[in-house]
Amino acid sequence: MKITELTLGILTAVGGFVDVSELVFMAQAGSRFQYALVWVIVLATIGMMVFGEMSGRVAAIAKQPVFNMMRHRLGLNLGLVTLIASLISNTITCAAEIGGVGIVLHLLTGFGFVPMAIAATAVFVATIWLLPFKWIERTYGLLGLFMIVFAVALVAIEPPWGQFATGFVPQVPAGLSTQDLLTYSYFAVAIVSAVMFPYETYFYSSGAIEEKWGEKDLGLNRLTTIVGFGLGSLLTVAILASSAQLFGPAGVNPEMPGTAALQAAVPFGRTGLLLALLGMLFAIAGAAIETCLANAYSLSQFFGWRWGRRLKPHEAPRFTLVWLVVFILALGIVLTGVEPIALAEYAVVVSILVLPLTYLPLLLLAGDKSYMRQHANGWIAKTLGWAYYALIVVAALAALPLFLLTEGGKL
Amino acid sequence: MTIGRVRLLTQVRDLQIIDRDEQDCGIVDDVELEGRPGEGLRVTAILVGPGAYRTRLPRWAMRLVALIAGDHMARVPWGEVAYISSTVQLARPAQDYGLGEAEQRARRLLPQIGGLNAPE
Repeated sequence: MKITELTLGILTAVGGFVDVSELVFMAQAGSRFQYALVWVIVLATIGMMVFGEMSGRVAAIAKQPVFNMMRHRLGLNLGLVTLIASLISNTITCAAEIGGVGIVLHLLTGFGFVPMAIAATAVFVATIWLLPFKWIERTYGLLGLFMIVFAVALVAIEPPWGQFATGFVPQVPAGLSTQDLLTYSYFAVAIVSAVMFPYETYFYSSGAIEEKWGEKDLGLNRLTTIVGFGLGSLLTVAILASSAQLFGPAGVNPEMPGTAALQAAVPFGRTGLLLALLGMLFAIAGAAIETCLANAYSLSQFFGWRWGRRLKPHEAPRFTLVWLVVFILALGIVLTGVEPIALAEYAVVVSILVLPLTYLPLLLLAGDKSYMRQHANGWIAKTLGWAYYALIVVAALAALPLFLLTEGGKL
Repeated sequence: MTIGRVRLLTQVRDLQIIDRDEQDCGIVDDVELEGRPGEGLRVTAILVGPGAYRTRLPRWAMRLVALIAGDHMARVPWGEVAYISSTVQLARPAQDYGLGEAEQRARRLLPQIGGLNAPE
């Protein structure tokens, strides 16, 4: 494995980790509960590493992408329910990302939100149609590294490091009212969902199949999921912590995705603001493409169609039609006037409901020695896998009641 | 054929099918059996395409599937299955079994603009 290839893979994972839901929820969580939810990000990131690594390993050894194995393991009926839920969740998420890109472009250029959302969608379609998969992944992933400005900004504003460090310890803040406790729980569930979005697993494992991973790539898989996702997660921690330091004491509720960019403007002025907006633009744009392609992967794998970004659009026509239709639907949702922030909220609630169904077949297949041979889950992967599975089942059961009781975290 | 003992429902049904050229060309949506009461059953074909779901899905779900993926069905004789692993491989190209028609129809709906080949 070439070192450049390895570094690029990891950097792409870092730049591609953040999306609009994370920007919105991390900034709001920091403003509202200071550092008390940092530990949830860490917990969810380890979960994402566990399932991401598993999906890459299954793709490399059993050569099975997520929706193939889902249908084979869960059967047609339950598989179909999962497919429909995933399609809905990914389309809403894609709409939220397009809305997020529209807002950032509006802030950067001053042009209207609607023309910017339409222009962005047209650019996404053109790039997927014309450019090879690796170029798309690397362009958006690497340019998303502008997001590092958030981590540098956090250091520059010198937060109370001792207080920040206490955020890494699992806790429920003392003295919260029942309503605040519910809102704290809602944000905890939303963060788990935003970090562990199912589309990330579909996209990652499908990419591994497309790149024809084998046993020799298991090291790259482990490094990308642990180092890449880990460093990407640090950016989200930085957004939460900066928000706790800057917005919380000022009573600012950073509801709009663009507000987070002010975190870099405080220490670095216009340059910081520009870098933050550019980082957000490419990170959210990358997520829009990933969510859209995740739908095309899911449907194609479920029905056994030809699929893959390595093929020209005409070589996988049904796959191509699906991602085109998903972009049109997602843009249509944005054009109805629904706020991108509301879309991001719906996306995290629907996504967490899909997670248990997504990860069950993955866990079963990754532990099956007849397919995985000596690469089947060992005791660490097995223990972590089932522990996280229990966690996401609890989070999925709690998500909808918490969303309704707290009016999406607004109470 | 390199098939030994197979569990039809857990090992074959809902498995990805690839043709001789290793192209994805569907899923084993059902298995056709032949035989009379009191006699041994014999596998005669695999059924491919959403039309094969009729007996497996509730009516509302079948309508939805037909809307998304159509309701066509192709029958591939069991003797054409070359081997079974994590996929079912066929002995000849997909077109020989009528498995590539839906892709052809979809291709006609796409604008004729080429994409770049992906470099290795």
